Amino acid sequence: MPLSVEKEFEFTFICKGVTSRLSVPVPIPLPQAVEDFAGRLIGCHNLPCYVEDDLKKKLDDFVTNETRNLYDENAEEALNKIRDGTTDIDSLVEKWTKAYTQEVKQYAKVEEASEETLFSEVYHNLIHSPALDTLLNLEHTYALTIEDLIDQRDKDLHHLEERQREEMEEAVRNVGKTYRDDEINLLAQRHFENSQLIGGKWSSELTNLKDTQKREFREWVVKVHEDTQSPTKSTSYLGRVRALSNALPEAEEEERSSQAPIMEESFTIHLGAQMKTTHNLRLLCTDALDLCRHKTHTVGGMVIPQPQRLQTAMSLYSNDLCALILMVDNRLNSYTGLKRAFAKVCEQSTDFHFPDLDQQFLIIEHELTLANDYRAQKKQSEDGDKVSIKSSSSSASLDALDKGSKLQTGDFYLTKHSNLSEVHAVFHLVTDDSIRSSDITSRHPVILSIRNIIKLCFRYDINTLTIPLLLSNEMTEEMTIQWCQKRVELMFKCVKGFMMEMATYGGHKSRNIQFLVPLGISEEMFSGISSMLTTIFRLSNPVVVKSATPHR
Amino acid sequence: MTELGKADFGLTTFFAKSHPNDKCGANGLPLTPNSIKVLGRFQRLKAVSHPNLCNYLDVARGKHERLMVVAEHYRHCLRSTAKSGKYTNEELFIELAFGIVSGLAHLDRIGITHRNLSQSNILLDHQGKVKLSEYGMYYMTEDGTSVAFPIGNHKYLAPEALGLGPAVIEDHTDSDATLTVPCGPKTDVWSIGLILMEILSIPYKNGFRLFSADGRCKDLELPVFGENGYSKEYLESDHLSLRSMEEVYYLWRLAGGDLVGALKKEGLTKSKPPIHLLPYYSTNEGEVFGQTRDRAELLDSTVVILSQEQLRQRLSEIDETAYYPLLEDEQSQVTSSLPTSPSSNDLSETANLPLVIREKDIEYQFHRIILYERLLKGYPYTRGHIWKEARVDIPPLVRAHVWGALLEIEGDIYARYDEIDKETPTQTDRQIEVDIPRCHQYHELLSSPAAHGKFKRVLKAWVVSHPQYVYWQGLDSLCAPFLALNFNNEALAYSCLSAFIPKYLHKFFLKDNSAVIQGKLFRLQEYLPVFSHLITFHDPELGNHLDGIGFIPDLYAIPWFLTMYAHVFPLHKIVHLWDTLLLGNSSFPLCIGVAILSQLRSQLLSFGFNECILLFSDMPEIDIQRCVQDSIKIFCNTPKSATYRQHARPPKKAKKEESRPNISYYSRDYNEQPSSELSMEPIPVEELKTEKCPRISAEDLIELGELSGPSHTKSPTKRKQNSKPMLLVIDVRNQEDFAKGSIPNSINIPFPTAFSPEGDLNPCSAVTSLNLHKVQVKVVVGSRGRNATNFAIELVRLGYQKVCVLHKGIDVLRSTNILTVPPVDL
Repeated sequence: MPLSVEKEFEFTFICKGVTSRLSVPVPIPLPQAVEDFAGRLIGCHNLPCYVEDDLKKKLDDFVTNETRNLYDENAEEALNKIRDGTTDIDSLVEKWTKAYTQEVKQYAKVEEASEETLFSEVYHNLIHSPALDTLLNLEHTYALTIEDLIDQRDKDLHHLEERQREEMEEAVRNVGKTYRDDEINLLAQRHFENSQLIGGKWSSELTNLKDTQKREFREWVVKVHEDTQSPTKSTSYLGRVRALSNALPEAEEEERSSQAPIMEESFTIHLGAQMKTTHNLRLLCTDALDLCRHKTHTVGGMVIPQPQRLQTAMSLYSNDLCALILMVDNRLNSYTGLKRAFAKVCEQSTDFHFPDLDQQFLIIEHELTLANDYRAQKKQSEDGDKVSIKSSSSSASLDALDKGSKLQTGDFYLTKHSNLSEVHAVFHLVTDDSIRSSDITSRHPVILSIRNIIKLCFRYDINTLTIPLLLSNEMTEEMTIQWCQKRVELMFKCVKGFMMEMATYGGHKSRNIQFLVPLGISEEMFSGISSMLTTIFRLSNPVVVKSATPHR
Repeated sequence: MTELGKADFGLTTFFAKSHPNDKCGANGLPLTPNSIKVLGRFQRLKAVSHPNLCNYLDVARGKHERLMVVAEHYRHCLRSTAKSGKYTNEELFIELAFGIVSGLAHLDRIGITHRNLSQSNILLDHQGKVKLSEYGMYYMTEDGTSVAFPIGNHKYLAPEALGLGPAVIEDHTDSDATLTVPCGPKTDVWSIGLILMEILSIPYKNGFRLFSADGRCKDLELPVFGENGYSKEYLESDHLSLRSMEEVYYLWRLAGGDLVGALKKEGLTKSKPPIHLLPYYSTNEGEVFGQTRDRAELLDSTVVILSQEQLRQRLSEIDETAYYPLLEDEQSQVTSSLPTSPSSNDLSETANLPLVIREKDIEYQFHRIILYERLLKGYPYTRGHIWKEARVDIPPLVRAHVWGALLEIEGDIYARYDEIDKETPTQTDRQIEVDIPRCHQYHELLSSPAAHGKFKRVLKAWVVSHPQYVYWQGLDSLCAPFLALNFNNEALAYSCLSAFIPKYLHKFFLKDNSAVIQGKLFRLQEYLPVFSHLITFHDPELGNHLDGIGFIPDLYAIPWFLTMYAHVFPLHKIVHLWDTLLLGNSSFPLCIGVAILSQLRSQLLSFGFNECILLFSDMPEIDIQRCVQDSIKIFCNTPKSATYRQHARPPKKAKKEESRPNISYYSRDYNEQPSSELSMEPIPVEELKTEKCPRISAEDLIELGELSGPSHTKSPTKRKQNSKPMLLVIDVRNQEDFAKGSIPNSINIPFPTAFSPEGDLNPCSAVTSLNLHKVQVKVVVGSRGRNATNFAIELVRLGYQKVCVLHKGIDVLRSTNILTVPPVDL
C-alpha cells in the first residue's frame, strides 16, 4: 500500500491562438497548499496570468480526486486482504483488542490497587503528617536493634574464627605428633561446617528479625493511618504515637563519628545558549558509601536519626528522588570490594519498603535473562541498517555474550532502597579494565551508559544524581595528574552535553549533579578540578555584593 | 474569530508515545519527542473554524510527554440528548445529520480526516446546533502514529480502517515493513451512517440558524439598538460572550486558569510514585527492562470543563462601555486610552509597572486587547494610533498583528507569498537545513517538524525573492520570532521578515561578486566603529578599558547586529526587545548593544581579554526589561547624527509622512530626512576607525543647542523646561580666532595649551566650566585639521563622557548667522 504516489497532471490553455499543454507530476497527497503549488507552476513555466484561476481550480479538482482515489485504493486493498485471507482476521482482532485493552482506560483491566501502591500512599501521607517524628524514631529503633544483632553476630563469628584459628595453629604445630594429616583435614572440614552452621543460624535469625520488623512496621503504619482517618479514634492514634515517642533508647557510649567529606564545593550553573536552565553542581571528595551509610547523631545522650534521613524518607514516594552511581564489575553478587561494603551498609537496617538486596538481585537476574534474550535476538536480526546510536564496541561485547558472560560493560542494574542515608536508588554500572586507560572517548560504553542513566533520571524524576567523576571508586596508581585532568575534562563535557540533550525531554526543571572524587586525591588536584569545572560550565551570574570590608 | 457565546472550555489530556530507546532521525539527530510533533501539528487546528466544529484553542505539554488540549466544549452531546427521543422528529433528525455532514464536509475540504467520530463527541450547543469535537486527534497525532492508544471508537470504525489494523507501535524490533496507512475521509461516512442508524433506532427541536457573517465594520461602531440584526436580547446578553474565544481563553489564563491544576482537581494526574516505576536493568545500549507501566498514561477521554467563574468574577466590575472603547474623539486627540476602572484604581498606574507584571494583569490586558483589536481592524488608517499605543506596550495576544502594523505590512501578502517558489531546490538549501535544527530549539513550537517545514519555506521564499542578497547564518534567527508569532500565517511571517531586514540590516548581505564575506564585512566595517564610538560616548571608562585590552566589537558584536540580537536571547526576551526595537530607527540596535555592555560593566572592567572572550562566548543572563529601558535612555541621549551611517537605508520616495502623525523626532531615521550642507556626510571607514568619538552634524548642534531660537520647526524630544542646555560647546581654536566669532555660550580651550605635560587639563576658568557640565553633551569645535579630533581623544582618555566632534568644524557655520563675538572674559 503506497502512502503516496505521483500522478501526471495535465493542463491545456490557449495562448495567442496556440494551444499549450502542460504536464507535470504531482505528488499525491499534496504536502502543501494547492495555491502554493499553482504559484510554483506559474513561476516555473512562465504561465500567463489569465490562466491562473483556471489552473488553480483544475489543480484543486485534480488533487482532490487523486487523493480520494489513493485512499479508495488503499481501503479496497485492505478489504481485499481480509477477503482473500492475506490478513489473518484473528491476529487482526487480537491486535485491536490489545490496542484497546492496553492503552485505553475505559477498556483496560481495572488494576487492583496493589499492596505496594497502597502502602506507599499511606506512608507518604503519614510521613507528611505530625506522625513524622514518631515514624522516624520507630524506624530508628528498629535499625538499632538490627545493628545490635549484627554486632553480636560479628563478635560471635569473630570469636569462632579466632578459636578455630588457634585450634588449627595448634594442630598444625603438632602435626605428626598428636595429629595426623587426615585428622587435620577432618578438623578443617569440621571448622568449615561449624562456621557455615553458625553463620547460617545468624543469618536466619537476622532474616527473621527483619521480617518481623517489616511486618510490624507495616502493620503499625496502616493502623496509625486508619486511626488518623477516623476522628473518633484520634485519641488512640495519639496514644499510639505517644507510646512510641517515649520508647527512645539510650545512646550508646562509644563514639561513632563518621567522616565528613574532606573537600567540597558547590556551583550554580546555566546551561543553554539562548534559553538558560539553572542547575546545581557539587564537587565533593568522599567515599561513595558515605552517601549511603547512616551517621549517628547524638544529642543529649540520645541517638537520634540524622536530618538527612528525614529528607530521604519524606521524598521516597515523591517526584524528587536521589540516586547514586556505583562502579561494579561484571558479576552480579556482593562478595568483593565495594559491592561487599555496599551490601553491608544495606544490611545494617531493615528495608521496610523494598526487598532485601539479595532478593532484588534475583529480580535483576530475571530481567537480565530477558535482556540477554533480547540481545541475542537482536544480534540475529542485525542487519547493516544502523539507525540507532550504538556503542562502538558493541560487536566486541557481543562476542563476550557468546562466551556466557552475562553482564556487559556499560550495562547497569538498579536497586531501590529506603534505608540508606541520602539515596533512594543506586545505579550499579558495570565496568571493566578498559576504563583505566587514559584515552577513553565519549563513545566508550561506560560514558554512553552515563547518558542512559541521566536519561532515566529525567524520565523518572531523579533530581539528584551522584556520579563518580573519575569513573572509579578509588584512587589507583595509573591516575596521574594528566590522567585525572583528561578524565575530568571528558566527564564534564559529556555530562554537560547529556544534560543539554535531555532538557528537550525533561522540561526546564533544575537538577542537582554531584561529582564524586575518591578519597585520597590531592588538594591541588581537587582545586584544579574545581577550576576546570568553572571553565567548562557557565556559572550563573554571581551576585556581587559590594562591601567596604575587603576579603579576609 | 468565533465569539465565545455560551461555550465552555473543555480540557482533555493524553500521553504522546515515548520513542523507543535512542532512535535517530535520518539527519542523525535524536528524534523529536512525539509530544513536540503533536504540538507543531496542532497549530493548524487552531485555525480551523466552522459553525459545526468546535474550535481548538490551545495545547500544552506537561511532564513526561503529557499533552493537554483545550477546545470549545458544550455540556450536551448526542449520546445524552438522543435518549430523550428528540430526534424522532424527522425534521430535527435531518438537521442533525446536516450539521454533522456540514462539519465533516468542511474537514474534508481542508484535508483533515476525523476518524474519531462517536456519539459522545458530537456536541450540541444551547440551541441544539451540532458541534463536532475531538476531530483533530487523528490529524494532530499524525494518523495515530504519535500515540500508543488507538484513535476512534471501534464501534464506528469503517471496515477498511479496522482492516488496516491499529497504528503500528514501534517496539523493540525495528521493522519498517509495516507502515501505518492513513485513512481517508470516506471512513467518516461509514461512522456517520452507523451513528445515525443508532439514533434512528432509539426514540428526537432546534432552531438551526445559519451562520451570519457581518462585515468587519460591525465591530468598529456601536450597534444601533434594533438595527444591524441586534435584537434587544442580544444587547442584554453578557458582553464577554461576544468576544472571540481566543481572547476569552487568553483572559482565562490570566485569571489564574491552570491546566495542570484543573486536571489534578479531577484526579486525572494521579500517577504512581516514580520509585515504583523504575526499571531494574538496562543494557549498554540503553534498552531497559523491568520497568512498570504507569496506568495513568492510558487514554482517559474525560473532558474537564474549565470553569469560567473566576474570570467572570474578575471582570464583573468592568463597565459595559469598556467593551466598546471610543477611538476617535472630535474634541481632542485621544488623551489616554486607559479608562479608570472602578475595581482597581487608575489603570494608568498599572501602565507604569514593569512589563512582566502588566502582561499578567488581567484587567489591564483586557482593556489593551480590546483597544488593539479595534485599532487593528481599522489598520492601515489607524497606523498612527497603533504606533502610539505600541510605545506603551503590546499585549502578547495581538503582538503578531501589531508587529505587522509597525512594519507597515500592506497589500495582498497572501497572493504574493503564494507566487514565490518555495520548493525548487537551490544551493542554499543545505545550509538552511543545517541551521534550522539549531535555531531556538528549546522552544517547543519551533522544534517541531511542522515548524521546521515552515521555517524552510519562509527562508527559501526570502532567499528566492531577494536575489541581490545572500543567505547568511543568522537569517534563521531573524526569522524565528516572526515564525513563532505567525505560526499559522507563513505569508505574514515572510512579509514581516522582508520588511524588517531592509529597515535594520540594510544591504548587510548584498551579493558581492568578489567575495560574499567581504561584502558582509564591508557594511559592518562602518557599523562596528560607530558602535565603538557610541560606547565611548556614553561610557568612556568602559570604552577605554575595552580599547586598552583590544576587545573590539568585531570580536563579539557581529552576531548581535547580524541577527538583531535574535541569536543571543531566548524568544521570550527577544519579543520584548523587538517590541521597542521596531519603534526605533535603524540606529536603535546600536543603543541596545551599549545597554547590554553597561549591564555587564563591572565584570567587563575587571576582566582581561581572555575572560571577556569567554564571557561573550556564551551570552550571560541579561535583564531584558532593564536593557530596553537603558537603550531608550541611551538613544534619547545621543544626537542622531552621532550614529550616522552612510549605508543605512536611503529615504523612501514619497514617504507617507502623514501616516504616522505622532512620531517623535527620534523614531525617524536620520537618513530619511532631507539633507542640506549642514547635515552629516559619509566619512571614509578608515577615518572612522581612527577616531574615538562620534561626530555631530551642524544641524544637530543648532537644534540641540537651541541656537536658532524657538522658531525652528522640528521639535526635539520633550524636555523639561527648566533644564540646562543639552550641549556644551568647546572651541579649541586659538583665542584670536575665537574672539573673532564663535558659537554663543561656547567655552574656549585652545588645543595647543590645553594639556599639561602629564596629560591633564591645565586649569583655567573654561576647564572649571567644563567640569561643571559633566553630564552634558560636549561638542568639540575646531577649524580644519585634526585638532578637534585629537582634543576629543584626550578628553575621552581623561574619562569625560558624551564627547563628540563637530563635523567639518566651525567653518560649516559661517553660512548661518549664528556665530557671534563672545563677551570679553572677565
